[in-house]
Amino acid sequence: MKITLIRITFFIALFSIWYLIVKLGQIPSYILPSPISVFESFYFGFIKGGYTIAIFSSLLRVLIGYFLALGIGVITGILLARYYLLDITFGRTILALQSIPSVAWVPLALLWFGITDSAVIFIIILEAVLPVALSTKNAMKNIPPNLIRAAQTLGSKGLHLYQNVIIKAMIPELVTGLRLSWAFAWRALIAGELFISGSGIGQTLELGRSLADMAQVIAMITTIGFIGFLTENIFFGTIERKVRLAWGLQ
Amino acid sequence: MINPKIKFTNVSQSFNGISKNETILQDLNFEIFAEEFVCILGPSGSGKTTILGLVAGFIKPSSGNILFNSKKINRPDSTRTLVFQEYALFPWLNILDNVAFGLTTKKHKNNHVKEIALEYLNMVGLAAYKDYSVSQLSGGMKQRVAIARALAVDPEALLLDEPFGALDQQTRENMQVELTRLMTKTKKTVLFVTHSVDEALKLADRILVIGGKPGKLLFDTTITVSKPRDLNNNQLVSIRNKILDKLSQPDLFMGSDI
Repeated sequence: MKITLIRITFFIALFSIWYLIVKLGQIPSYILPSPISVFESFYFGFIKGGYTIAIFSSLLRVLIGYFLALGIGVITGILLARYYLLDITFGRTILALQSIPSVAWVPLALLWFGITDSAVIFIIILEAVLPVALSTKNAMKNIPPNLIRAAQTLGSKGLHLYQNVIIKAMIPELVTGLRLSWAFAWRALIAGELFISGSGIGQTLELGRSLADMAQVIAMITTIGFIGFLTENIFFGTIERKVRLAWGLQ
Repeated sequence: MINPKIKFTNVSQSFNGISKNETILQDLNFEIFAEEFVCILGPSGSGKTTILGLVAGFIKPSSGNILFNSKKINRPDSTRTLVFQEYALFPWLNILDNVAFGLTTKKHKNNHVKEIALEYLNMVGLAAYKDYSVSQLSGGMKQRVAIARALAVDPEALLLDEPFGALDQQTRENMQVELTRLMTKTKKTVLFVTHSVDEALKLADRILVIGGKPGKLLFDTTITVSKPRDLNNNQLVSIRNKILDKLSQPDLFMGSDI
């Protein structure tokens, strides 16, 4: 309770100082609008419907890209764990690809797919595949061999061994990979949306820039941060913590 | 003529080491009979764990053969259950579900899995901890759970790989008493690996001394002293001396590059 109060006080102070700086410094609105303007942007944005549709469109894109990336990533991870030659070649490449920021893929995606949804989803898949493939591979390779032997000596084999031991032993590391993949996907989404047409948070952000509507820009940045925080930290973070607890902080 | 439960014939075990072939065990020949409590005793690295791995079915002998109930061992199964030195309990299951694990396979599945598991947990005195998670238990308790889990599938042979090695002296002594008590209740063939001569003298009906590089069978002796045993007993003292004598022979390490 006390922490929440401290946080609320912090934000009230922040907004007050912001308001005062803008009012007293007479700062032009395209540099820094007053917090009131940002609230207005949100209000009208949701009432007139633009923001709601934008958020839905963005979420749809990122979910499609994310789940496709999961499917491809898990299969890739299993193959990398299984085949050494694949791991030292393709696996090494994947590791290097992780260092490329999403925005670097935009030109390639635009040339291949035009300024369409497909371009963004392509970038999302490209980015989100990497963490889940690597964590699937590592999860498979890091299963303590004595856990498998313990199961076998108790009579477990085949499907029973897979379902009850192998997959269970992999879950904590997999969950971390799922969280990281989501984070990559969310960032790739915004990077891509800045350049394509249609509705979405990134497009609305870019529209704000082109209209010199800083209030809209700030509103969109806040939205991106808020949804990112809810999903990465609250949703995935809680799941990850609970899994690690249930597995004995493995 | 009773057939032995476990029979090793000319068993040797090598594997591809760092630079060349390493022979861990050489020309092992012995027979173990039903319900014998056998200690495999030897210094660290003498291949004792490998012997258990061969009986459990995790590895196949490089040469020779191993028979269980007069049949070749093909793969691990619940007739020969191994208890590991590091417990190897499943961290995502609570204590009761760990003990019940072996009963969830097709072979054992029935409607009373949890009740049976609770019985075995009770046998090791931990019924009150059935809902606990593995991380909440001490080393000694974890090992008791591991033993209960192994016994729950009612194996014919119980294999224990230095099960009390990671425990402190006091706990180890308590566990030795526990195990002896359990084994008089549920008659099984037991293979107990240890590097402690005293532990072997306390627990075993029969001691197989393995030593040297590569590991060979140095000594095979039966103990007829009734339990619980006093280590000052004459027969035990004389056996101890013979064992220590065998293990300190100078030509033990010929054939290796030590």
